[in-house]
Amino acid sequence: MITGGIRVLNAGLPLIVDGVPAADVVQLDWRPPAFGDAHVAEIAVSLDDEITHDANRRAIAAVHAVRPRLVAVRPAREVIAGMGEGKVLLHAGPPLDFGRMCGPMVGALMGASLFEGWAATPAEAEQLLRSGQVELAPCHHRSAVGPMAGVISPSMPVLVVADGERRAFASLNEGLGKVLRFGAFDEEVVTRLRWMRDTLGPVLDAALEAFGPIDITSLIGQALAMGDEGHNRNVAATSLLTRRLAPTIAALPHGIEVLEFLAGNDHFVLNMSMAGAKLAMDAAIGIENSTLVTAMARNGVEFGLRVAGTGEQWFTAPVGPADGLFFPGFGIEDANPDLGDSAITETLGLGGFAMAASPAIVQFVGGTPDDALATTRSMRRITLGPHPAYMLPPLNFTGTPSGIDVLKVLDTGMLPVINTGIAHREAGVGQIGAGVVSAPSEVFLKAAVGLRHARDSR
Amino acid sequence: MAALDSTFLIARVLPRLYRDSVALMALAAATEKRAGVIRVGAVMATPGNIEILERSDMRPADLAVAPDDLVLVVRAVDADVAAEALDAAEAGLTAAEVRGGARTEQAPQTIVEGLALDDGLTVATISTPGTYAPAVVEQALRHGLHVFCFSDNVSIEDEVRLKAFAVERGLLLMGPDCGTAILDGVPLGFANVVARGSVAIVAASGTGAQEISCLLDVAGCGVSQLIGVGGRDLSSTVGGVMTDLALDMVAADDATEVIVLVSKPPAPEVAKRVLARLATLGKPAVACLLGLEDSDGPVVVRGTLEGGAIAAAELAGHPLKVDQPGSALAPTLVTGTVLGLYTGGTLASEAKIILDRAGVEHEILDLGDDEYTVGRPHPMIDPAERSSRVVQAGSRADVGVLLIDLVLGHGASVDPGTPLAEAARAARAAAAADGRDLVVIGSVCGTVGDPQDIAAQRSLLRDAGVVLFLTNAAAARYAAACATAAPLGAPAPTSKEHA
Repeated sequence: MITGGIRVLNAGLPLIVDGVPAADVVQLDWRPPAFGDAHVAEIAVSLDDEITHDANRRAIAAVHAVRPRLVAVRPAREVIAGMGEGKVLLHAGPPLDFGRMCGPMVGALMGASLFEGWAATPAEAEQLLRSGQVELAPCHHRSAVGPMAGVISPSMPVLVVADGERRAFASLNEGLGKVLRFGAFDEEVVTRLRWMRDTLGPVLDAALEAFGPIDITSLIGQALAMGDEGHNRNVAATSLLTRRLAPTIAALPHGIEVLEFLAGNDHFVLNMSMAGAKLAMDAAIGIENSTLVTAMARNGVEFGLRVAGTGEQWFTAPVGPADGLFFPGFGIEDANPDLGDSAITETLGLGGFAMAASPAIVQFVGGTPDDALATTRSMRRITLGPHPAYMLPPLNFTGTPSGIDVLKVLDTGMLPVINTGIAHREAGVGQIGAGVVSAPSEVFLKAAVGLRHARDSR
Repeated sequence: MAALDSTFLIARVLPRLYRDSVALMALAAATEKRAGVIRVGAVMATPGNIEILERSDMRPADLAVAPDDLVLVVRAVDADVAAEALDAAEAGLTAAEVRGGARTEQAPQTIVEGLALDDGLTVATISTPGTYAPAVVEQALRHGLHVFCFSDNVSIEDEVRLKAFAVERGLLLMGPDCGTAILDGVPLGFANVVARGSVAIVAASGTGAQEISCLLDVAGCGVSQLIGVGGRDLSSTVGGVMTDLALDMVAADDATEVIVLVSKPPAPEVAKRVLARLATLGKPAVACLLGLEDSDGPVVVRGTLEGGAIAAAELAGHPLKVDQPGSALAPTLVTGTVLGLYTGGTLASEAKIILDRAGVEHEILDLGDDEYTVGRPHPMIDPAERSSRVVQAGSRADVGVLLIDLVLGHGASVDPGTPLAEAARAARAAAAADGRDLVVIGSVCGTVGDPQDIAAQRSLLRDAGVVLFLTNAAAARYAAACATAAPLGAPAPTSKEHA
């Protein structure tokens, strides 16, 4: 009577299939879906149809078709929409009123105001920001991304990443120590920003002009084979980029200064990796009915999630501090809530998702290389498919799990793993550790409701 | 920090040894957990890291290092503790891998993951908490699986919606709150091991379907399919949509020659429609609708499970004799009422109908009903609760007859007869000690193929003095006879019986 015979998938009590031959039973290790929210579980299931599947196939294909190339390094005001005139500062994460911002974010905005010459003293800078005379907007709203505080001001040089007409931007990485992105804003920080504006940016731009664009996909792909995961470990990618550009840079005025800077900054390529991921993910924004996550970003107060089918809408939830390993003398009590746009790398399938490429990183959670493989495998449960260009040697060169599906997150209860740096909660202290965090479940619950609403209102 | 003044800070430099900063932070964190250790630094001695040590008051004044040295620094309550911690940290740098490469496959957790493991699956059995059942059921249906939903506490609105969704796709949604099915010979949930044969049962009642399937096994005609549809399917709200689909499927099933529909009394308008439909299936049909008057027409209607089984067996060419020749038993005359302690809901209903018709005073409890199962398993799975009630019945002076069932088969308790027999013996002993005779009457719903060994289970009950019948209806009739035959205050003779 039943075509295909009686072959049973059992969700629940084993005694229900007591009488079924064991070979014809798949027993699930079932657990409540949607983090235990039955209402959202039903919404998620209601969306799990051919309309969604088709939209997701188109969305992930669009993302994977993007081939970002680093083409230029230009002042933000020249290339980022809406930064040409007036006092505009971009920041990491979803939108947030200045009054609610965390210490490092406030410090970075103050530092940027000082750097731009909008204020002469930190007190003036803070007053200016509090007065509302500076327009604040998320980087993500301007095709840009920035790590940690992610502050971009009009004079700052930014990486210009392109594929055809598409553009994405990211700030230049300042290195470790006292840096703006961790909220430091003293003279040392501002001096470095000036040097980056006057020397680093122009030299890199000239080098790219002379050398030609850098294919980010192939560079990151190579780095994955060399122990990077494209987020928290960037030493291989930075070395590759520096090696490639060194002959050109060395011939330029101030070239050696720039090479010295690159040699001392293991994380320089992080921002390029982020901009490449941003360019790719933006290709899916607004694809109706797609449940693909297009951005995960934190502003130090809230975690924000964007999904293809709901376009520019943010789904937010309070974010806590990352627990990880701390530099000597610091602990979780010193940590700022999670911060930065860098989770765009995980959104594409790098970082935590590519942990298998980078066993060194898994030690942040006291793990072994086996755990690194397990982490990557577990992210397969929530993604739409392997990335065609980012191969993982330890997993037989399968692609890194790419494209988070909100419905799969809710179905499995598996949250995206994000590798992250940890900032001190006070402005200016800087990085105090690094670790692995999970996105908060609440944003996925809200996203399902938002997707259902979007579907129903069409 | 003034407290630091009385502590000891020691460093150890490991020249030109490289470890990843992540490994070093992990090492520091592990070493910091040692008793008496206040703080540990384990870093490559780059200028940046030395500055960090400096800022956190962790740089010994005499520290001399090169950037490619590895430095371990420990602050502890005394020098010995600090030195031991340094030793431990250094040992940790060269620690062998402790965990091997072996990796256990993770069991699938979701419908999608289960299907990814085996795309030949055809049926989902769902017994999750009722709150989540609608989502899981819908997901299974979306993936083209027939669904057997054992979960209860699903709203009737969800049932209506999901059944419509299933019918659109030509899929069975058995349940919610479906206890039994036998599809193409494969039992799901609480089902007895019955011979495959020619009669299909479509059931809105779990133990009702079990009783009929067991009697058809006895009759020798066997069962082709048993499709449970959930107890509410024939309500006016649900409207019998899954009954309709199930009837279509068995009508088209080559193995099926006779069809039995079994249900507690359906909504009248639904009953009317379903009866009309049964007449058009092209196969002989029996409507076993509990409590209806028996009638013979294009569709045979029977008001008891036993009646339904006899009619179906007859149509299938294997007549079933319930009252075997020579087994007629004189009623044991008792005083007091009939107390029924049932684990099977439909069996309880059938008993009520028979006792009502006989005009006998009774109290029939379905102990599998929600009001008795809050926070405990169904009595077919765990017989303890019913057993204790049986024992208690022995001390009730108002009870003269105790009527019980015992359901065997897959899903049921491994040996339900032993606790029930003990309880019956205790109850009868208690009544006897009080100068009363308690007649315990019952039937065993099961087959010779069931895992529990029906012959042994019956012996246990008989040895405990339980009067056993082949069918629940026969047991109820005998209970009625005992109760009605009893003139007030008459002595109750002892009994022997055979099923």
